[in-house]
Amino acid sequence: MRWALAIASFVILIVHGWVFYDQFFHKWERHQNAYFDQARAMAKTDAERTALAGRSPRIEQIIVTAFGEKGGENRVDRCTTCHIGIDDPRFKDHAEPLKSHPFSEALGDRMINGKWERRHKFSDFGCTLCHDGQGRGLDTFYGHGEDHYWPDPLLGYVTQNWRADFKPKLKNKEYMQANCAQCHTEENFKSTPLVAKGRQLFYEKNCYGCHKIEGLSTGTLGPALSEAGKKFKLDYLWESVVEPRANSATSFMPKFNLTDDEVKALVTFLKSRRGINFSETSLDRYRATLDKPKEGGVELTSTTPATTPKAEAAAAGTTVALGEKLVKDHSCLACHKLGAVDGGVAPDLSFEGLLKDDNWLLGHFRDPRALVSDSIMPAFGLPEGDYQAMTTYLSSLKTPPALGAPAEIFKNNCARCHGDMGNGKGMIAVYLDPYPRDLTKAGFMNSKTEDRLVASIREGVLGTSMPGWGKVLNDEQIKGVLNYIQTSFVKDPRRPLKARQVPETNPVASSKESITRGEQIFLQRCTGCHGKKGDGKGPNSLDILPRPRNLRNGEFMNSLSDRRLFESILYGVQGTAMPPWVDYGLTQKEVGDLVNYLRSFRQGKK
Amino acid sequence: MAVVNKTHNPEPEQTEGQMTRRRLLTWLSSFGLFGSAIISVISNLVFIKPRATYGQPNRFSIGKPEDFPSGTRIAMDEQRVCIIREGDKLCAISTTCTHLGCIVAPSETGFACPCHGSRYDQDGNVTGGPAPEPLPWYKVTLAPNGELEVDKGTKVEAGNYFNV
Repeated sequence: MRWALAIASFVILIVHGWVFYDQFFHKWERHQNAYFDQARAMAKTDAERTALAGRSPRIEQIIVTAFGEKGGENRVDRCTTCHIGIDDPRFKDHAEPLKSHPFSEALGDRMINGKWERRHKFSDFGCTLCHDGQGRGLDTFYGHGEDHYWPDPLLGYVTQNWRADFKPKLKNKEYMQANCAQCHTEENFKSTPLVAKGRQLFYEKNCYGCHKIEGLSTGTLGPALSEAGKKFKLDYLWESVVEPRANSATSFMPKFNLTDDEVKALVTFLKSRRGINFSETSLDRYRATLDKPKEGGVELTSTTPATTPKAEAAAAGTTVALGEKLVKDHSCLACHKLGAVDGGVAPDLSFEGLLKDDNWLLGHFRDPRALVSDSIMPAFGLPEGDYQAMTTYLSSLKTPPALGAPAEIFKNNCARCHGDMGNGKGMIAVYLDPYPRDLTKAGFMNSKTEDRLVASIREGVLGTSMPGWGKVLNDEQIKGVLNYIQTSFVKDPRRPLKARQVPETNPVASSKESITRGEQIFLQRCTGCHGKKGDGKGPNSLDILPRPRNLRNGEFMNSLSDRRLFESILYGVQGTAMPPWVDYGLTQKEVGDLVNYLRSFRQGKK
Repeated sequence: MAVVNKTHNPEPEQTEGQMTRRRLLTWLSSFGLFGSAIISVISNLVFIKPRATYGQPNRFSIGKPEDFPSGTRIAMDEQRVCIIREGDKLCAISTTCTHLGCIVAPSETGFACPCHGSRYDQDGNVTGGPAPEPLPWYKVTLAPNGELEVDKGTKVEAGNYFNV
C-alpha cells in the first residue's frame, strides 16, 4: 500500500514535470536563444550590440491591419516567433527556421546601392497573406497548418494527409502565385504567370461554359467557382479537375485529359478565386460594379479574321481548318466523340455533316437549348466567326461510317445511346434528356406503325438527341435495322393495329376561352406527371420510365401533328405511364381544348 | 503528510539515524507530492501572465533612419509614440498622457494634452497641468535589416538618444 502511494506520488510528479516542461519550455524559445547567441557573436558595432542587449525570448507577432481576413478582423501572424531571423540579411544561409527570407525580383524587391530593399515589408504584410498557414500557431503542427482541419495549410509546402498520388505535385512554391493574385488582379501581372495561364485555360478548355466565376463567366451547369479558393484546398481542386467524380458521384463533368502543367495552372487560378480582393475596400468593390456593364458576359476575342462573305467562301478551306482547330482547342471532345477521341458524355460528331445541316448547327451553337430544350450543352458565347468556322468544319464531316449487316449498323451507330441490349441504357444515355427510347418495350414498339418508326429513324426526332439518319442509311438499311430491333430486342411479333377514331386536325378552333378550358383540364388531369408548367417534372415523374414528356419542348411539340397528340391523349401511349384518357371520360372536344392549350405554350416566345 | 505519519507511527523508532523501509517510503511519497504541488503552484503563477496580448506589439519597426530627416517630430498615433530627430540624435517619446491616458499632441513648446490641459516640454518634462509624471522615453535600436525599432517594453532615461 505504501509502495503504491510512493510510486503514485512519483508518477504524479513526473506528469506534472512533463506538463510544466511542455507548457513553459518551448521550441521557439530555443530558436530565439540560438538566434540571439549567433547574432551577438556576429555583432560588429556597438549599435548592433545594444540592439541585442536585453532581448530575451518572447512571442513575436505582426498585426496586419491593412488586409482584413473576415469582416475587418486583423491578421495576427506569430510566425516570426520561430522565424525570428526572417529580416536579418546575415542569416541568409542559415537553416530554417532562422534563415532570412530570400529577396527576389519577382516579389518586387529591388537592389538599391548594393542592398536589397523589400517591396512587401513584413511589418505591413505579415506572413500568412502570401503563405497561408495559421498565423497564431506557435509550433510547426499548428503554425504551418498541418492539422487536417485547418483550411489554409502553408501553400505549396504542407500537404496535410492528402492523397499520396497528388501530394508531390502539390508541393511547389509556385502555387503561392494564387495569393499574389489576391491583390495583383491584373490579367497579365508578370509575377503570376501560372494564374494567367490558368485563366486562359479556363476559357480555352471551356470551363466557363458550365462554371460561374463572378465577373468572368456565367455558366450555370456546374458549381459556381467564385470562391473556390476560399472553400477548397489544393488537393480537392486538383482531384476535382482530374477526377470529377472523386468528390461527387453524380457529376457529369467530363475528364479533360490535361497535362500536369495545365492542371497546375488551373488549380492555381482556382485557388486565387477567393471571392474578394484583400487590397480593395468594400467601397472600391462597389465602385467597380458601377464601372462594369450590367451584363457580366464573357469577353472573348474572335480568332477568325474579319472577312467579307465572298473572301470567306474563297477561304473555305482555311475556315474548315480553323473550325477543326477550334473544335479541338475548345475541348469539345472532352464530351463529344470525334473519330478515335471519345469524351463519353455527348453524341458522336464523326459524321455530323450527314446528320445535321448548317442552320441547325449554327443555331445549336448559339443556343443549344433553343433546339434541344433539355440539353446539358452550355451556350459558350464564342464570337460569331468562331461558330461559323466550327459549323463549316462540322458540316464538312461527311464520311459515312462503315456499315454492314443491320446488327453491325445498330452496334456502331445506335448503341452509343440506346445500348448494346437496346434497353435505352447506352454509354451516354444518362446525359441525354429525354432518355433514349427503351427498344425492348414491346408495348410501345408494337403500338406504333412501322411507318412512324421508320420516319423517326430517317428524320430524327426534333427537340431530342435523336438525329435523322436519312443521309447515312437508305430505306432498306433502316428497315433492316428495324427488323433487327424487332427480332432481337422487342421479340414480340407485331400484331395488326386497331383503327382508331382520331381527327386529322384539331376540330376545336383555338381561342382564348378554349385555351382557358384546356388549362383547367390540364391542371386537373395532367400535372401529376407533366408538372404544373408542363415541363415533364411533375411530382410523379421521378417514378416513371420513360419520363413524362416535357411539353414545353417547342421543337418537339411543333413537329407533332394534331392527330398524333389526339391519339396519345385519347388512347394513351402503350409501354409508358400515359393512360388512355378516353377511359377517364375526356371527350374529343376537351382534348381539342387541351391541344390548344399545349400549342399556346410557344406563342408567347416566337 | 507529516500528521499522517505521526498518527500511523505507533512503533518506537528503534534504529535512530538508520533508514527504515517505512521512513524511506514516507520520504519518497512526500517528495513526490510536495514536488508536484510546488510545480503546480509555479505553473499557475506563470500562467496568470499572458504570453501574448492583443493589439499592436510592443516592439515595432518605424522605418529607415533616412525617413526621419533632422528636425522631424512625427507623432504616430497608432503606436502612441513621437519620433524626434535632431542632427544625429533620435529618440522616441510616448504620446500617452501620464494623467489619464489621452493622446498628447506635439505643440510649439513641446506636447499638449487636449483633455485636461497638461503641458510638457520638448523632452517630455511636465511644465503645467495635472500630469504627475514626465512622458517616458522608449528604447530605439537599429534592426539588422537597417530599420529602426522602437521597444515600448523598455523605457530609457530622458536624454538617452539613439545615435544614427
